[in-house]
Amino acid sequence: MRWRWLLIPIVVLPLGWLLFTGFSLDPRAVASPLIGQPAPAWTYTTLDGEELSSADLAGRPYVVNFWASWCAPCVEEHPVLSAAWDQHSDDLAMIGVLYSDSRDNAESFLDRYGRAGYPTVVDESGALAIDFGVVGPPETFFVDADGIVREKQTGPLTAESMDRHLASIGIGR
Amino acid sequence: MSRSLPAVAIGCLLALVALFALRPGSPPTDAQRADALAHELRCPDCAGLSVADSPTSAAQEMRRQIVELVAGGASDAEVRQHFVDRYGDWIRLAPSSPVAWLIPFAVLIAGVGALTAWLVRRPSPPVPTPPISADERRRLREEAEALDA
Repeated sequence: MRWRWLLIPIVVLPLGWLLFTGFSLDPRAVASPLIGQPAPAWTYTTLDGEELSSADLAGRPYVVNFWASWCAPCVEEHPVLSAAWDQHSDDLAMIGVLYSDSRDNAESFLDRYGRAGYPTVVDESGALAIDFGVVGPPETFFVDADGIVREKQTGPLTAESMDRHLASIGIGR
Repeated sequence: MSRSLPAVAIGCLLALVALFALRPGSPPTDAQRADALAHELRCPDCAGLSVADSPTSAAQEMRRQIVELVAGGASDAEVRQHFVDRYGDWIRLAPSSPVAWLIPFAVLIAGVGALTAWLVRRPSPPVPTPPISADERRRLREEAEALDA
């Protein structure tokens, strides 16, 4: 009869492990089906009023960063993006995508936190965010020179995660 | 003949009810299909709301794309796949695998089974006591007599 007491750890331990690992996951970190697939094609207007297209970036690795002025983690990662651009602008392209926000708010954000030097396109309808499967900013996609999405960062980038993701598209190795 | 009349009448009534219930309905309009699909898909930037129930710009754009795809002749499965290709299965509010629907019932049945087994289990048989030997019987009698004395 004593073996029945073994049922308690047999049931409780796996359940505890499931709850522990489940609650420690980021619910927004949804795996992207785009990884390993060609990046969506797009043509949008930048904050400066110029037309920019994914076709203009053909043959170069590039980073697509979805951001908004109302997004606190976007403030946190802004210096990381600026530093990466300063360091690697000869080897890659970077594009910001304004997500669910106004041009005026975006300009105020850039005046306050610094203009990194790379363009931001305005996704007014949210169609580009849907094409990339964006759940909420900041989200950043790393596309290699062949136009294939290699990695996605959900949440703010750090210097360490930026270096790791850039390495996946052949930058900084 | 008159005895079987009620049975025939009930049979006819049931047949009419079945015919009414199984009649082919008119096909849904594009607007109805788009609305049904919007209720199936998750709003990407809100917590647990469908695209149909959310006012966010992402939900509005998804609704616009659903309407456009339906008007363009896409089937319901193709519309769902359009969003699954971008967001993964997560974008569907209801799980697509039938196994996921069966799990709660399987757990319920297992639980009821375990509870029933626990409630109706037979009491354990009494532990048999060894018979008293003749020597022990004699000693008991002597001690009882000593107490009486």
